[in-house]
Amino acid sequence: MAKKLDIPNAEDEALVRSAQKGAMPPYEELVHRHRDKIYARAFSMLRNEDEALDLSQEAWVKGWQRLKQFKHNASFTTWMTRICINLCLDFLRKRKRKQTDSLDQMEEETGGVERRMPVEEFNPTENVEREELRVQIDEGLAKLSYEHRTVLILHEFERLEYKEIAKAMHCSIGTVMSRLFYARRKLATLLIALKKERRE
Amino acid sequence: MKQEDKLKIQAWMDGELAPKEAAQIATLIEQSPEALALSEELRVIENALHLGEKQANLDESRDFYWSQVERQIDAEEPLAKPYAVPSIASGTLLRWLVPVGSLGAIVVLMMNFGTMNPKPLLSAPGITPEAPAATPSGFTESAGGLEEAGIEPDGMGVINFQGSQGSRHLTDPEDPNTLPESIENPDR
Repeated sequence: MAKKLDIPNAEDEALVRSAQKGAMPPYEELVHRHRDKIYARAFSMLRNEDEALDLSQEAWVKGWQRLKQFKHNASFTTWMTRICINLCLDFLRKRKRKQTDSLDQMEEETGGVERRMPVEEFNPTENVEREELRVQIDEGLAKLSYEHRTVLILHEFERLEYKEIAKAMHCSIGTVMSRLFYARRKLATLLIALKKERRE
Repeated sequence: MKQEDKLKIQAWMDGELAPKEAAQIATLIEQSPEALALSEELRVIENALHLGEKQANLDESRDFYWSQVERQIDAEEPLAKPYAVPSIASGTLLRWLVPVGSLGAIVVLMMNFGTMNPKPLLSAPGITPEAPAATPSGFTESAGGLEEAGIEPDGMGVINFQGSQGSRHLTDPEDPNTLPESIENPDR
């Protein structure tokens, strides 16, 4: 007779294997354990609480529907985060409106702005408390366009390589490099501006 | 400094360059103050980002959040059983029964229309009705009303009915068209 799964104390892998056989309670436990992480990723990309909530829940629904395809090559949270990121990317692509195609953004796309950005002379993160810096970075990320923010998130926080980002975002590696370069330099500029603002 | 070199400095810092190119960029950074300044700026930002993200907090309670997920799963669950035999009460069967039943009733009514209609009163002895005049619409006027010219009652023929629903109700839930396009292989 099969041993009954101790759901609250079971490892993720055991819960996933049980859920793959169709059991809902282990999946519910997985949702409870990782819902904050999935929501946080959706929010970091979308910058809207309601949309992030909806898409994070949609990610869990898709996760359940496609659970049998999960091969345990990566961790379950990594797999779920990828689903969430893909949903966010699809959503953002659809939402992209005409007004975002401003001259400034067109230059960002083609690499016009970063050519004119001077190399910053001083360190924007110097003498800034760790938590304050996190807040500042968050504010800076919110000011980037979704393409630049996403590239930065995928590279810096999800640790994806250029070619993986290019595949996820349906663009070339050259575009990824250009967007990443712009996003980093723009973030540096924003952090310096924030630092000056707080000094004054 | 060329834009290409700037992007290569970044790629070198990200460990994305081939060994030969990486050596060239390392030399460039040693020799060019501008290249060095750029690499330092990028390093500062990289280090700052490595502190981590500000975590967004989920306000929904644990049970409420799950109940919403579960409801969506339940709502989409029938899609996972497309080949199940439909029950009488199922929407699919009703969708077919209503139009087919209505059509059948109309056909029966039309076929019985001739027998229900008595012969015209004008055909009494001594009265010869004039030949009916054709109208531009192809109908001929008769005592009994308008009849379609050249069509005999038996010409009702077989009605070729094709449901407008087609086979949509048999959509495979794994059909990529039913899911976001880039979600096909989430575990890259």
